[in-house]
Amino acid sequence: MNVMLKIQNASVYFAARGGGTVKALDHVNLEIHTGEIVVALGASGCGKSTLLNAIAGFLPISAGAITLDGQRIERPGADRGVVFQKDTLLPWKSVLDNVALGLDFAGLSHAVARENAAGLLKLVGLEDFAHSAPYELSGGMRQRVGIARALATNPAILLMDEPFGALDSFTREQMQELLISVWSKTGKTIFLITHSIDEALSLGTHVVVMSPRPGRIIARYDIGFVRHFLKCGDWGTIKASTEFIRLRETIRGLIHQSDPQSEIRSAVHV
Amino acid sequence: MSDIILAEFKSGTAAEDTPRIVAMHNADIGNGKTKLISLATILILLAVWWLVTSLKLVTPLFLPTPAEVVTQLVAIIEDGYANATLWQHVSASLLRISVSAALALALGIPVGLAMGLNRWAKGIFDPPIEFYWPLPPLAYLPLMIIWLGIGETSKIALLTLAMFAPICLSAQAGVRGVPLERVNAALSLGANQWQVFGAIMLPSALPEILTGLRIAVGVGWGTLVAAELIASTRGIGFMIMSASHFLATDVVFVGIAIIATFAFAFSYVLRWLEIVLVPWKGKH
Repeated sequence: MNVMLKIQNASVYFAARGGGTVKALDHVNLEIHTGEIVVALGASGCGKSTLLNAIAGFLPISAGAITLDGQRIERPGADRGVVFQKDTLLPWKSVLDNVALGLDFAGLSHAVARENAAGLLKLVGLEDFAHSAPYELSGGMRQRVGIARALATNPAILLMDEPFGALDSFTREQMQELLISVWSKTGKTIFLITHSIDEALSLGTHVVVMSPRPGRIIARYDIGFVRHFLKCGDWGTIKASTEFIRLRETIRGLIHQSDPQSEIRSAVHV
Repeated sequence: MSDIILAEFKSGTAAEDTPRIVAMHNADIGNGKTKLISLATILILLAVWWLVTSLKLVTPLFLPTPAEVVTQLVAIIEDGYANATLWQHVSASLLRISVSAALALALGIPVGLAMGLNRWAKGIFDPPIEFYWPLPPLAYLPLMIIWLGIGETSKIALLTLAMFAPICLSAQAGVRGVPLERVNAALSLGANQWQVFGAIMLPSALPEILTGLRIAVGVGWGTLVAAELIASTRGIGFMIMSASHFLATDVVFVGIAIIATFAFAFSYVLRWLEIVLVPWKGKH
C-alpha cells in the first residue's frame, strides 16, 4: 500500500505562560495509508489536537515534516476535509447550501454543486432536511452535515477532531456506525482523534496512543474490530469479546501510566 | 457478580390520572407577556395627564391639556407652522436622518470591517474615533458651523458623525467575534481570502452591524434637534426649538409626539429587518 500522509519527526513548541516552551508535539512519526482509519487516542493535553491542526495546515510545525502525497503541508486546503468537534455550519445557509459550500468556493455551477451536495446528504441520511436551517437540527444531525460538507470537495483524507465528543453516548454510537458505513461506501482515508478508548477500538483500523508532556506516540495497534463489524454487524459480541476487553484494559493502563496525575489516582484507591 | 448488581428493577409504573404540568422558574422575566401591562401603563399615564390638567393642578404653560395638544396638532396639520406645512417639517427631518444614516453606513461598515481585520486600519482609525465618539454632538456643533457653514452640509455632517461611530464599532466587534473554527472550516474547504471575507466574515458580522444601526438611529434622533438648531427654517427639531421661544408648550408636545412616533416606527422597521435578515441571531 502506498503511503499517503507521512509525518516525520514533527515537533510543535508553544510559548509557555510563565516563559519557556511547552513541547506539545515531540518528534512524532506516523504514516497513514490509503483507506485506513487511523485514530489518535489520548488524554487531554497529549497533543492529539495539535497533531490534527498541523495536518490540517491550521498550525505550522516547529520542526520535522508533514507531507501529503509527497507535497509538504503549509496551509489549509480542500485536499484535507476537516470535521470539527463543535460544528462550524453557517447558520444563515440551509443544510444543502452548507454542504455545497466547498463546491461553491471551487467555482462549480450552482446546480452541479447542489446536485453533488444532495447526493452527500443522502449518504449521511439527511436528504429530508436539505432545506432546513442548521439550528433546527440536533447535535448529531449537525455533525452528519459536517461530515457531508467535508466530503463534498472529495478530499484525499478526512480529518476528524473529536467529532462525536459533544454528543450523548447513544447518539455517539449511531454516529460511529454512520461513519463506518460512510467509510465502507467511499473508502475514504480517515484520521480521527478521540479520548474514548472504546471509540478508538470501534472505529480504527489503526490506533496510536499518545501521552502528554511532551506529546508523543507511545504505542500503535493495528486492529480489525471495525472490519469485523462490517462482516457481522453486531457490536455486542465484538465488545464483549476477550480481545476487545483485554486491549481496552491494556490501553487504559498505558494511558494512566503515562499520565503524571496517575499518582493521585492510585493514592485514592488504597 | 452478586455483590456488584445488588438488585434490578424493571419499569411498570401506573400512569397518573391528571398530570400536573410544571416548569422551571425563570431567572429573568422569561417569555411572560408584557404587552397588556404596557398598554395599561400608557392608559394610566394618559389618565393622570388628563386628570392633572383638567383639575388645573399645573398651569397650561408647563403642561397643556391633552385636548389642547390634539387641537394644536390638527391646526398644524391644516395650517402648517412657521411658513411651512407639517409635511415639509417632517420630510426635512426625515431626509436629514436618512441621508446621514446612509452615509454613516457607507463609511462605518467598511472602516469597521477593516479595523477588525487589519492591524494598520485599527492603528490609524482607533485614535480619532475613540477621541471624538464620546463627545456630545452639541460640543462640536460650533466647529461644524465654523467649518461647514449654516446650510444642510453642517447638519448632515453632525448627524453622520454621531451615527458613524456606533456602526463602525459594531462592525468591528462583529468581525472580531467570528469564531476561528468557522474561518478554519472555510479555509479547509478551499476558500481564498476574499471568499472567507465574503462568505464568512461579512455575514457573521451582520447581526452586530444591525444592532449598531439601531443604536445609531437612536443617537440620530437625539442629535436631530441639535442639528436643526443651526439656522433652520424647516424640521421637527426646528419646530420644537422655535415653539419653546414663544413658550408654545402645546407645539413642543406635538413635536415631541411626532419625533417619538417616527423613532418608534424606525426602530420597529429595524427589528423587522433583523428578523428577515438574521433569523439565526441568538440561535447559534
